Parts: sequence; C-alpha cells; structure tokens
Amino acid sequence: MTSKPSACWQKNPALAWREIDEATVIISPTDSVMHELNDTGSFLWKNIDGQRSAAELAELLAESYEVTPDVALNDTQALLEEMSTRKLVVPVSASGGESR
Amino acid sequence: MNAPDANSGGGRQQQFELSIGCVPFRLQMTDPQLYDAASVRYAAFTGAGAQPIHIALNNFSIEEREPAEFAYEFEGAVLRDSSSQTNFDGVGNEYALDSLLRVLLSWKLAGRSGFLLHAATVIRHGKAYVFTGRSGAGKSTIASLSPEGSVLTDEISLLRRENGEWRAYGTPFWGEFRAAGSNTSAPVKGIFRLVQASENRVALLRPVEMLRALLPNVLFFSAESEANRRLLGILAQAAEEISSYELAFRKDQTFWEVLPE
Repeated sequence: MTSKPSACWQKNPALAWREIDEATVIISPTDSVMHELNDTGSFLWKNIDGQRSAAELAELLAESYEVTPDVALNDTQALLEEMSTRKLVVPVSASGGESR
Repeated sequence: MNAPDANSGGGRQQQFELSIGCVPFRLQMTDPQLYDAASVRYAAFTGAGAQPIHIALNNFSIEEREPAEFAYEFEGAVLRDSSSQTNFDGVGNEYALDSLLRVLLSWKLAGRSGFLLHAATVIRHGKAYVFTGRSGAGKSTIASLSPEGSVLTDEISLLRRENGEWRAYGTPFWGEFRAAGSNTSAPVKGIFRLVQASENRVALLRPVEMLRALLPNVLFFSAESEANRRLLGILAQAAEEISSYELAFRKDQTFWEVLPE
C-alpha cells in the first residue's frame, strides 16, 4: 500500500534518536530495538516535522539530491512506508494530531 | 562507614553507606541477615559520600508515597524511586538487593553522564582498557589472561565523563570471577569490541560502529522516552570521544601486543 502524497507524517514521539557520523540512530525504548537510517533516510528524518507532507518532503529530497521529482516522490513514499512499518513515523490526522 | 542506627519501631534499623563510581548510597534496613550479607558483599565499596541516595529497604510502613519517577520489579522485589526517597521492597536476599542496586545505579548514572556496560576492564600503565561484548564474547577470558590485580571488573564496568574526561570504575557486581570488582578508577584508553579469532588483530571503529556495539551491552531498564534520549546522548558522546576498536583475539596473553599503548 502506498500512502497519499498529501499525507503528513511525524516522528514517533516514543522514540529516542541521535545523529552520529552522518547517520541517524534510533532506539525504541519499549522493545530496545535499534534502527539505523542511511543518508537519504537521515535526510528525510531531519525534515519530518509533523507539518510537511510526503510530496513536500519529496520536493526537498529532489532539490538536495538532484533527482527528478518522480524518483524523489517514489523514494520518499517507499521510505515513509518502511519507517511506518517499523513504527518510526506515524501519520498526522487532518485535525493535526496523531492518527489512531 | 557501616553504623547501627536508631530503632525504627519494628526492628533495629541499621544502615551502611557505599559508593559505586562516585555515586553514594545509604541503605537502611532492619533485617540483620541481609545487613550482614550486604556488608560482606559490598565491603570493598563501603564509604560515605556527600548527599547519598537514601534507600529504604523493605520499609512497608510508608503508606503514602510520592509518584515514582522510576519503578522496576525483579522477581517480586520492587524498586520505586522518587525525588525524595528510594524504596526497595520485597527484597528477600542479597541477590535481589544486588539486582535492584544495579538497576537503580543505571538509572542514577543517566543523570550523571555515565552508564553501566557489560564489559571487562583492565588497567594497564594507569589507563583503563574496556572490553565489551555479550555473554560468551570473551570478557572473562580477557580478565583471566590479564595480570593479577589489574582487573577492575570482569563483568560490569561503569563509565563516567568527569571534567571532560571519561573514566572507568569497577563495580561490586559479580561476573564469572565470582568476586566483586575493584573499587578504583582510571581514565579510559579505549573501548574494544571483542571477537574471538585465531589471530590477534585490532581495527579502529567509527563512532556509529561503536554506538552500534555499545547499545546491546548497556544496562538500562527504563522504557521512558526522555530517559532513553538522555542515555543515547551520553552513549553517542562516549562513541565520539573515546577511541574505539574491534579486537579479534586468540585465547592467550599475546593480544596485548596489538593493543595501542
């Protein structure tokens, strides 16, 4: 399933994270699982703020990585889906809160 | 100093003070057998410190308590830590006490730029060499191959950043040596991720690789987000500031030859 480009995302507030060595290390305190994001994942992570939609994140990615808008949107949505599956990010509802 | 204290009503209350990694504790209890066992177990770490953390042991008489900032249960023994007091309840023996004490210490260290690590630490030329790895990685082997008197601990090391310098401390928590570590400290020379091999080899690790090696070996028992953020900040700083290596080693003393002086 692919999320809508207009959907907004926020970092899961239950997580702890840190940038180190140009990577992002995220730990999930409830199950002690460690996640590591690569360069592109770290870029998106930095810009996920609960305000930006997938399409807006893709625009930022396209500008910074000099890829076409289509490629950027596909990559962004794929990464967001993966982060969502790993419960690193959660969708923001239209009212501004976290979707349940 | 260990010292008898006032009568608390139920039984004669006794207390003793100990300090682990410069974190001072004052334990108060009425069970004489537990007192004797704890006095022996923590003998090397006995000592008074300024503003000790008060731990009331099995003091069920306190009915109303502030909300706990941190709580933990281990086999029926319960730790509750609030801003004014710490309670250990349901502690039936020294092993339960030891478990709760290391849980509490890990919690308190997060506010003191420190952490507990599954690691053997050996002092060489006045510097602490910290060897980390999961059970079976070779921590006790490293300790057993090191000169007598040089081992701070073969199981749980305490690392703290003090005045811009990382120091390693021994802890009283037992490993395979079945003995408490040494109550001393030394500046950290390096952290070594252990890999057993047929030949000795040492390779520098990048900070993110060290952080990856540290995380599964750190003792931390809170699932609370903010506490974990604080811990991750401390670990990332350690990974960035302490020289870190992977040490592939064979089971004899020759591994020292490849370590940095």
